[in-house]
Amino acid sequence: MIELNVHKTLQSAQGSMELHVELTVEKGQFITLYGESGAGKTSTLRMLSGLMPPDKGSITVNGTVWFDRERKTNLNPRHRNIGYVFQDYALFPNMTVSQNLEFALDRKQDKTVVEDLIATMELQQLRHRKPGTLSGGQKQRVALARALVRQPGVLLLDEPLSALDSAMRQKLQQYILEAHKKYGLTTILISHDIGEIIKLSDKVYEMQNGKIVRQGAPPDMFGLGKTSAKFRFTGEVIRIQKEDVVYVVTIRIGNDAVKVIADQSEVSHLQPGDKVAVASKAFNPVIQKI
Amino acid sequence: MNSFSGHIADIRTSDALSVVTVNINASVSFKAIVIDSPETASYLTKDHPVNVLFKETEVVIGTGEALAVSLQNKLKGTISALEKGPLLTRVAIHTSAGEIVSVISTASADELDLKESTNVTAMIKLNEIILAP
Repeated sequence: MIELNVHKTLQSAQGSMELHVELTVEKGQFITLYGESGAGKTSTLRMLSGLMPPDKGSITVNGTVWFDRERKTNLNPRHRNIGYVFQDYALFPNMTVSQNLEFALDRKQDKTVVEDLIATMELQQLRHRKPGTLSGGQKQRVALARALVRQPGVLLLDEPLSALDSAMRQKLQQYILEAHKKYGLTTILISHDIGEIIKLSDKVYEMQNGKIVRQGAPPDMFGLGKTSAKFRFTGEVIRIQKEDVVYVVTIRIGNDAVKVIADQSEVSHLQPGDKVAVASKAFNPVIQKI
Repeated sequence: MNSFSGHIADIRTSDALSVVTVNINASVSFKAIVIDSPETASYLTKDHPVNVLFKETEVVIGTGEALAVSLQNKLKGTISALEKGPLLTRVAIHTSAGEIVSVISTASADELDLKESTNVTAMIKLNEIILAP
């Protein structure tokens, strides 16, 4: 269990901001920090990992005190049992995939953990390649594997998939979920992608201006659990076109573009780029074997 | 999307399906069938506030009295506005619950001779109604 209660005065382009985050994450939970840029999400992860010292407060993980201002405890990042994955892969370009993973091993650690991760992340075909020859999704898979080499209890993911296209993102989400379950991790993700948050996390915390302003189960937070409709998707409006007396709204859902008929009352507050929930009753779709 | 707010008046459950009656006001209620039961959806309790949602294209329009149809949700009203396109017509109907919008074919609108202030019955099938707690 992670118990975090930290204060920090942060300087940004907009002036100074008082960050105060109180968070309790149960062991094995997958939570997401959500909110606009500059809300304090990355700073929260940096304080948890030891890369940034809080001004005051405490951090306790599974009963061990990592930080306590009062007691002058501040555990070195290397001793914090954390795996950290950023948007930037930060792999060593002169080493192969296997070497990148082995480099992360602790001196006393057995090499079998690297073999296990190579199998879990399906990196067998890539193990002798250097990062420069890999795609973005492949590099991020290696980065994820490397973050897990030291068998951390806590995995921190700071928008790890935001540079990838949507097909690759969905595959990586699957790898993340598998690793989370297989290694019994407690995972904290930063993401802006509502579909991703719903797919991965048990709970979402919305941050604004250095504080948690809202928290809950993802379907409730994003208003999707609030209808009886069983056919529910989130998507992005691509195009709104008036046809006859109705509007045809084209919405990107995953890799598909679907068209939905809408009335003027529905489109009056919509524009391309908006995130939307699309819902229909389970009684309407027809099913055909293909 | 047509939207009305009301309170749950009755719930009849059979296995995983429930037919829910929602009172909008003293004279208007809607019935919806959902794949949920009070065990799977906590909002399914008597008197719980709930919104009733349905698509304009799912609203059937009838004229005259004594309609023998299988549709359970029937509301009497008067046409307040009519917008005719080449294929489709958007009909706004003033009812005691508020305004209901229906989109039907222009051919049907012509056949029924729909005009402003025509008295009509708006009808929606049970399975087209979404409940939003």
